[in-house]
Order: sequence, then structure tokens, then C-alpha cells
Amino acid sequence: MTRPESIALILKRIQILGAELAKPELCQATEATKLFGESSSLDSMGLVTLIADLEEDIRQQYKISVTLVDEKAMSRLTSPFRSVHHLADYITLVVNDTKS
Amino acid sequence: MPTAVITGTSRGLGHALTEKLLSLGWYVYGISRSSSRIPHPNFQEYLVDITDESAVQRVVNSIKEAGKPIELLVNNAGAASMNAVLLTPFKTAESIMRLNYLGSFNTTQLFGKIMARQRHGLIINITTVAVPLNLEGEAAYVASKAAVEALTRVTAREIVAQGVKIIALGFGPIDTDLTRAISRDKIQKINDQIGRPRGTTLNEATDFILEKINNAEIISGSVEYLGDIR
Repeated sequence: MTRPESIALILKRIQILGAELAKPELCQATEATKLFGESSSLDSMGLVTLIADLEEDIRQQYKISVTLVDEKAMSRLTSPFRSVHHLADYITLVVNDTKS
Repeated sequence: MPTAVITGTSRGLGHALTEKLLSLGWYVYGISRSSSRIPHPNFQEYLVDITDESAVQRVVNSIKEAGKPIELLVNNAGAASMNAVLLTPFKTAESIMRLNYLGSFNTTQLFGKIMARQRHGLIINITTVAVPLNLEGEAAYVASKAAVEALTRVTAREIVAQGVKIIALGFGPIDTDLTRAISRDKIQKINDQIGRPRGTTLNEATDFILEKINNAEIISGSVEYLGDIR
């Protein structure tokens, strides 16, 4: 999985979620979009939905099961869930590690 | 055809519920350690230990491949142990907690993800009147089911946004393998305490579950018992 593929996967899923939650700002998400914290349009449950949906997207597209929230993710110095940018780095790493 | 996943289908309540849902036109996936011996074209079983995380993940992957939306998960698989707290071996307490609580945790998480993705679904956890009765002699069992009830209430809050509901339904003693070790006197006492002196049949228990499945207004996070619990 390449990083641009990872970005595309995340942005597509955020746009779907934005339409569902009636949050137009999510439909305009970019790589810089924050995924949690005060400046984020996603609440904690929205983030959970996004991560669960992404795990399923990865399973369908890459035929592998990944767990995106585990001790490894939580113990990283920079949270992989901070922004689309950070999440894309992390997903690319996890998917490629799992595949190899 | 609505589709259900039921754990612990080989015996007792899980077996009876599976047969009832099949008779009503459901497709049922059964997860059990031993065979349910239900020869029905709409029944498919997986012989798996629900506390084995990766084995259940493989079942989930296989069910996903079939592509049927999962409307219902019934976490029914469970075990009981009659013993005083002071005499219960640690290993027994551990295995009861592992099966009753962690088993339900595992399937709730894995099938809950499918339901969250679908944006609909109902999860039913089976509990027991022994929890509100604080039944002496069953501490390990009661504690594990109290954990299941807590899991139900917290999960309800977390998955409401995805349109998934979760409830817990509890019963008094039903005549199954689970209750065979309990003396008749004790069973009668429990049945009297919950206002069901004649006890609870498998049919009454499955009807109670069906009533909840068919109730669109059911409140997620609720824990209900068949009987009069004060």
C-alpha cells in the first residue's frame, strides 16, 4: 500500500462519514484535517466509527485483517489519530507490515 | 431472510433459540465448541471456542465473505459453577470469567464492527436473575454475568451513533445442562423469589427473546429479566 492510496482511502471514508453526520466540513477534509481534539469536527465516537470503517475498507481492498488501535498505536510518541496526515503514515506502515 | 449469529448453539437455550429462529425463516450461524446437530439448510455452524480471539476472527471473515447483513447476535454461550467463594479454585473463577465475560466481549467487538458498518443490528447478551438476587453459592458465575451486564450498558452508549442496539436478557433457572447441578429445593426457592413458581421453560425463554427482537422500540443498554425482580 502506498501513502497516496492510504490518504485516498481515509479521505473517502471521512467524506462518507461527513455526509452521514451532516458535517459539510468533513466532506472538505484534506491531509491536514484534525481527527480529534477541540479543532476536530469528529467527536470521539465519530473517530471510533471512522477507524472501524477503515479496518473494514482495508480488509475488503487488501484482503487482510488489521487492528488499528492497539498498544503499539497508543504507545507511539505522536498519536496516529491526530490528523489525516498521521493516520495515513500509520495505516501505510501497518498494512505493509501485515502483508510482508 | 434475516440473519443471526448465536453462540452456544449445541445445547440448552442456544439450541432452542436456533431452532425457533430457523422455523421463523431466519438464517442462523451457530458458534459452538461441539456440534449442534441441527440439520437445516439455513443453519451453518462453526466449531470454535469463543474465547479464542483469532479463531473467532476467522469465523467473522468467513461470514463476511458470504455477504449477508447480520441483524442479530445472541451471546448465549456460558458456563456456571456452584461453589462458595471461599472454596472456589482460582482457575474455575478465571475460566468462568473468560467464557462468560471475555467470550461475549470478543464476539460483541468482532460482530459489533460488522453491525456498526451496516449502521444497524441488535446484540443480545444472556444474563441471569442470579445477578440482582446476589445468589449465594454462585459468586464466580454472578460476577461474570454482572460484568456482561456492565459491558451491555457501556457498549450501548458507544454504538448508539452507528445505529446498533445492545441489551441483556436474564432468566431464572431453565431446565438445561447448566442448572442440572442445582438442587430442586434451591431452584424452587429462586423461582418463588422471582414470582415464577412453576419455573421457566425453554419455550418461554425463547419467546421472551423473540418478543425483544421484534420490538423496534427496545431501549439499548437495558437489562431485563423474565420474572418479578425487585
